[in-house]
Amino acid sequence: MEDLDYKKLGMKCGLEIHVQLSTKNKLFCSCLSRLVKEDNDRLLRIQRRLRTVAGELGEIDTAAIHESEKGKTFEYVSYPEESCLVELDEEIIHDVSPAALSAALQIARLLNCEIPDEIHFMRKLVIDGSNISGFQRTAIVGMNGFIDTDFGRVRIANVSLEEDSAQIVSRLGNKDVYGLDRLGMPLVEIGTEADIHSPEQARQAAEKIGGLLKLTGKVHSHLGAIRQDLNVSISGGARSEIKGVQSLSLIPKVIEEEVKRQLALVLAGKNVHKDVRRALPDGSTEFLRPLPGAARLYPETDHVPVAVTEEMLTEAKKTMKKATAEELSERCKISLELARQIINENKAVLFESLSENYDPSIVANILTSYLKEMKSEKIAVEKLTEERLKEFFSALNGRQPAKETMLRMLRELAMTALPAEKIASSIETLPDSDIRKIVEKIIKSNKDAIEKYNAANIIMGLVMKEVKGKAQGNKVMKIIQEEIKKTS
Amino acid sequence: MYSLGIQKLLDSAEISIGGRILVKAKGKVYEGLLMPRPDIGDSNCIVLKLDNGYNIGIRIDRGSAIEKSGHKEPKTVKEEEEFELGKIKKSLLKVSFDPEKPPIAMISTGGTVASRVDYQTGGVSAMMDPKEFLHNVPELFNIVNIKNFSKPFTKMSEDMDSSDWIALAKLVAKELNSDNKGVIITHGTDTLHYTAAALSFMLPNLLKPVIIMGSQKSSDRPSSDAVMNLICSSHAAVSDIAEVAVCMHGNMNDDYCLLMRGTKVRKMHTVRRDAFRPINDLPLAKVWPSGKLEIVNKSYRKRSDQKIKADAVFEEKVAIVKAYPGSEPSILEYLQAKGYRGFVVEGLGLGHVPTDSRKSWIEIIKKLVKDGIPVVVTSQTIYGRINPNTYTNLRRLYHYARAIPGEDMLTEVAYVKLGHVLAKTKDMDEIRRLMLTNMAGEITPRTVPDAFLY
Repeated sequence: MEDLDYKKLGMKCGLEIHVQLSTKNKLFCSCLSRLVKEDNDRLLRIQRRLRTVAGELGEIDTAAIHESEKGKTFEYVSYPEESCLVELDEEIIHDVSPAALSAALQIARLLNCEIPDEIHFMRKLVIDGSNISGFQRTAIVGMNGFIDTDFGRVRIANVSLEEDSAQIVSRLGNKDVYGLDRLGMPLVEIGTEADIHSPEQARQAAEKIGGLLKLTGKVHSHLGAIRQDLNVSISGGARSEIKGVQSLSLIPKVIEEEVKRQLALVLAGKNVHKDVRRALPDGSTEFLRPLPGAARLYPETDHVPVAVTEEMLTEAKKTMKKATAEELSERCKISLELARQIINENKAVLFESLSENYDPSIVANILTSYLKEMKSEKIAVEKLTEERLKEFFSALNGRQPAKETMLRMLRELAMTALPAEKIASSIETLPDSDIRKIVEKIIKSNKDAIEKYNAANIIMGLVMKEVKGKAQGNKVMKIIQEEIKKTS
Repeated sequence: MYSLGIQKLLDSAEISIGGRILVKAKGKVYEGLLMPRPDIGDSNCIVLKLDNGYNIGIRIDRGSAIEKSGHKEPKTVKEEEEFELGKIKKSLLKVSFDPEKPPIAMISTGGTVASRVDYQTGGVSAMMDPKEFLHNVPELFNIVNIKNFSKPFTKMSEDMDSSDWIALAKLVAKELNSDNKGVIITHGTDTLHYTAAALSFMLPNLLKPVIIMGSQKSSDRPSSDAVMNLICSSHAAVSDIAEVAVCMHGNMNDDYCLLMRGTKVRKMHTVRRDAFRPINDLPLAKVWPSGKLEIVNKSYRKRSDQKIKADAVFEEKVAIVKAYPGSEPSILEYLQAKGYRGFVVEGLGLGHVPTDSRKSWIEIIKKLVKDGIPVVVTSQTIYGRINPNTYTNLRRLYHYARAIPGEDMLTEVAYVKLGHVLAKTKDMDEIRRLMLTNMAGEITPRTVPDAFLY
């Protein structure tokens, strides 16, 4: 098939990106914000029904919905630490999580948004059962932003902070079962204007936004934590909303397929309907349902408006690190590849913080590979908090043990409650006299080379190889220089 | 309410709430509908409903401007705005019932069940036309014929007092003396059980159901408990159970309601749907939205068609006082000086008050009783019965000081009963006799084990 001329076809595309924030607690209560895999008979289960209220929806919508909700029962599974009376729609929501609000403001800032002076939470009516209350709480935290791509600017219409919905567990006849773990997890939604005019631009815009999100270090990075929806249309076609595009690389393909689909209909003189479609792994899409009218929004009166203070804005700015992989690589003297990996794995903020106390390249290696190795050994690496690692690195005081020793100490750090200082001190240190012996031996056996070249650095490399991290670099260097002096 | 400064700006530009405006602030322009300002927060912040339906707040400073906009808003936004501002389509207010169904009366008093969001204050308040709500519960049309619909007052229940109970009792008696099969009263939940107790005493010899219901989640929420509570109440109102009874969720599920005797029920949770529990007694029945009704407690009055007469009297000068470690008994003397004529002391455990402590209640209570002021003691344990004999300190309170042991009555019920009794007699012996006599199911002769934490 020949290349499509997207400009000529009047292709317009907008992105809608949802990302889960990695805060400890949920958006409106103190439940742990995490997904639960287990399901057993001891879990509390609640049966509920929902019903729309006359006047809240347009008349036609109401009629259709009343029909669909007839006799429908929803069952909600409650988990011990991940849901409370708030998720059960009994207790009134608590004040919004400051950590989530701060992260959302930071994201809005990174996307060059204007931030309202007052944030008003709204109730978005959702009556398919995925929200136990019948609505999702959502608030605009930023608008009129932009990001730049190689193909031109893409405007950000708005950034909103909202609660995630409950996750469907099973559908049994007339009963839909939902888990309450995901309900109320903080979610940021980013909507762009339909400023995207080519599949590659869409990919780049999504990549840029994703990169900025990861840079905050405040978003989840597991699969499914960032959900990408596409809105695509061509002249003579109609807007289709494509849900669940799993990866960045799939975006161009999905757009191409959708443009082809709409084009085929237009050429055949058929109507293109406004659809909600689902992206399939091969880039094609399937019909889900007709595109509904805009969801109705009403003020969430259980939460008072939140004034955005100067302190909140300063905080959002302070933690804002607008680094790219290139900048990170240059600033911290690590390879570009490592820098990319760190950003992709959502560890930029942690990395920079730890690098203050220790060699950045080793920190980078620990974060990107050692921890994975430990995880595969089923070691609880989440015990290695930023605080504990920082203590450990500063206790190492520049000493650089060999990989095996480092791994042993990290394992101890994760598996025991021993003070970081104690673990760091367990690194074997050679007495000065032993180091001196090694230095003398190496100088002797490399005499010719040393006379010709810049000696100290060569010897350093050779000595460090031999002492295997059992000595601090600066001490070794000092002894080398003393010994060189002696020989010359 | 907006600040005076903003109001001036709005007035001079002839802009009213709901109008489409342009707000120019900090070099930016925002367009949307002007929404009412919640009472809380910065009154210099304009609340703007954007075309995507979201509200945001924009602070108006020196150099900001507000203008009328010439643009038209999207239809959906207009509809949202109208709903938020309480403009209800007339078609939603017309309800007509099937005359073949059993007739009942509905009395709406306000509260969450008849509430929806009030965007002026930003909170929930009683402002809904009750008919608007009925429209959302089409099931009712298959159960009852709500022949008479009255709204004697519209109050959140914390604002109600004994004059409202008296008005309600008279109104209920009037409704029941017509061909109505029963009455449903919609009510705020906070003092719902006080009203239930008051109507129990004020409607002696009741022969038709009087069902009091409310909701814990306002009825403009898709998940409101009001819907099921109202459907179950309708079934109860045409049932054979001729009692003043509270009909609310039985558990956290939208499954069935409990029908609970008006003198043996209490709000036991601030927010849960199943907050109302029977205390020291079994519920009368379980009622399902399907109409299934399962009797749990066989001791109830059966329906009959005779006329009743309200005994709607209440002595307001009655107070509840709580005894606790370090509590001050002279508060009773203070209230006596203010003209109070009877007290319910919410005591400790079996019915104790501080006796040998620095601040003993005994002599003060003894003097009050001598002055002709009855003192009834109930327990903070909520569950269980007062005992006047077991401990020496109990004997001093009930035998020496002559306080009246409140049996297994709830504090709230004892308060309502004492007010009712004091309005009828001033004779201390008669007061004592009546307070110790079961008048409306408030005192049970025996307590079954299942009645605890039902």
